[in-house]
Amino acid sequence: MSTAFDILLNGVALGSVYALVALGFVIIFKASGVMNFAHGSLLLLGGYLTAVLHERLGFYAALALAVLATALVAGAVDLILLRRLDPHATHVLTILTIGVDIALMTDLTRRIGGDLLSLGDPWGGSVSTFGGSTVPHTRIASIVVSLLVIGAVFAAFRFTAWGLSLRAAAEDREAAALMGIRLHRIRTLAWCLAGALAALAAVFLVAFPAPGLERTTGEIALKAFPAAILGGMTSPPGALLGSLLIGVTEALVAGYEAELSALGGGFGDVAPYAVMLLVLLARPNGLLGEKEAIRV
Amino acid sequence: MNRIGRPAAAVAALAALALLGSGCSSKSEDASAGTGSDGVKTGRGVTEKTVQLSALTDLTGPYATLGKSIVQAQKLWADEFNKAGGVCGREVRIEVKDHGYDVQKAVSAYAEVSPDTLAMPQVIGSPMVAALLDEVEGDKILTFPQAWSADLLGKDAVQVLGTTYDLDMIRAVDFLTREQGVKKGDTIGHVYFDGDYGANALEGTRHAAQKAGLKVVPKKIKATDTDLSAQVTALRGEKVDAILISAGPTQTASLVGVAAAQGLQVPVVTSAPGYAPQLMDTPAAPALEKTLHVVSAIPELGSDLDGVRKMVKAYQKRFPGELVDSGVLSGYNAAVLLGQDLEAACEAKDLTREGLIKAHRDRAAGDAGLGAPQDFTDASQPASLSAYIHRPDKAALGGTVLVEDARKAPGAQEYLDSAGE
Repeated sequence: MSTAFDILLNGVALGSVYALVALGFVIIFKASGVMNFAHGSLLLLGGYLTAVLHERLGFYAALALAVLATALVAGAVDLILLRRLDPHATHVLTILTIGVDIALMTDLTRRIGGDLLSLGDPWGGSVSTFGGSTVPHTRIASIVVSLLVIGAVFAAFRFTAWGLSLRAAAEDREAAALMGIRLHRIRTLAWCLAGALAALAAVFLVAFPAPGLERTTGEIALKAFPAAILGGMTSPPGALLGSLLIGVTEALVAGYEAELSALGGGFGDVAPYAVMLLVLLARPNGLLGEKEAIRV
Repeated sequence: MNRIGRPAAAVAALAALALLGSGCSSKSEDASAGTGSDGVKTGRGVTEKTVQLSALTDLTGPYATLGKSIVQAQKLWADEFNKAGGVCGREVRIEVKDHGYDVQKAVSAYAEVSPDTLAMPQVIGSPMVAALLDEVEGDKILTFPQAWSADLLGKDAVQVLGTTYDLDMIRAVDFLTREQGVKKGDTIGHVYFDGDYGANALEGTRHAAQKAGLKVVPKKIKATDTDLSAQVTALRGEKVDAILISAGPTQTASLVGVAAAQGLQVPVVTSAPGYAPQLMDTPAAPALEKTLHVVSAIPELGSDLDGVRKMVKAYQKRFPGELVDSGVLSGYNAAVLLGQDLEAACEAKDLTREGLIKAHRDRAAGDAGLGAPQDFTDASQPASLSAYIHRPDKAALGGTVLVEDARKAPGAQEYLDSAGE
């Protein structure tokens, strides 16, 4: 019984971290129609900055600085590279993010090399026991922090002028511009927010059950891709739901690998994508995605 | 658009292929073959003054730390070797190529260096070695890979040093049953990387477990899995009595750390690629010291073997402040053995590629003074059946100390015989 609980808790914790990443994908996609392939390297950048700064500044100050710096870099990508190009050519912009990813990733890989960096988080390897199950404190922290941050982002969507503008821009870019919404500023802010979320996610992706930050950490972010897609790329609550679904699926498949051996070893790698395909077969626009109305 | 584009592309591809083809054929002509003024037969990679060696390594990818250690250790060897007179009056030179753990780059680097290379004292990475295996064998370039899969055996030009991954796991199971209280009817988990490293290791585990009456619960993971909570939870559910892991150091740290946190107190054993001294700086360090053991074909760096002590001292003098890890010893070991091959080939007055391989394959007790002697006479058999057991120790040089001296796991020979049938 406690095994099932452990697996479920793992899945939810994993899902909550994926949600931070997936939310970043969705915010950028909503604001600019661009699928940001540089998200993994932004996440790695945030984690790397926390890792190198924490010994001098302490964990919280280092994290704050890393979140800020990553937000600025993400904003700069939009400001310097994407803004100059035709905003309607979203496929060109998307491909450009792959270039940004390669450049950032190459430099970070060179700096990190073969090292395993600790982020110096205050939870360390501490655990609590609840009725026979041990729960690492990092897990609890990741769920709590993700809930708070995601709640704040949702509130910002709902109640701030920026959120309203973003939703309007996502709905119809031209109409929003005609209504006096400054699309450029909305977009750059969206990129900044996504960068900040990625830097935060890095902390929980490499904290205790994982041993630390390494050069491949950015690749883990790509696991949030199916989460964002299956939630429907334009829906923040969809991204949250999709992330939890992917996190729990991954944990269940890894936890019950023996029982699932009929499907072949290593099914855990493809399970998130299998779930994504199944969901998209039933709901082509994702769980909570908007139906696109195209008039001909 | 496409209809016009395709034939043009096809013509370009054909032209490229034709160019490649002509490149290959000119490569196979051996212009430099002959006999030097000193009566020594030479071929490609050897001139009147120099013997050219090449290393395909990883200085920018996941094994950058290991690559750097090996490159520096072999540089140290080359300096010592040349200072002592070189081979047949010739200096050895090592051309180092970084492939960043990218198979394509490794293949290009090989194409670049192979025409003028006599031997390769280092090739990092199972996928890279696998990709080059047939070419190396065809070109007859004596190669010492830093990879230990049994799939690499059976090639005259390729020499895997020490034990293969499957033998390591047989040794691990032997250690668990003898020293760690694992007994008939118990269950052991084996967490392993998808690929030849993990597959080969699991083969050894299955064999040893069957002989010892143990049940094996395999858990396949991949290199990007760095949080093994789900796997540990599942293994705890299976009530395992010990865990083997054939993955990278990151995965070992996560596995041991999570197991300790979940209260799963069972012995864990990995082989050399599953441990790195850097792990002693992670939060998992205390748990690693308590439960982990490492099977290794080479001795620990703090060993009181004369050769090891001398090498460590020379390395620290030449590269002060640099990390001394098992890569240093393993790289130096390969270079010394190659140096002995060169000397034997020189003695036989044949420094051609074929002559070097022959000299190498004639040695039944290759001994670099750095651990158990190795038998190179049968290319299809591992060079050694003996392995050490180490355990992590934060304070020790190289991060490990000795637990059990090199010994042959019972059943290892029988396993090899049964595999050969």
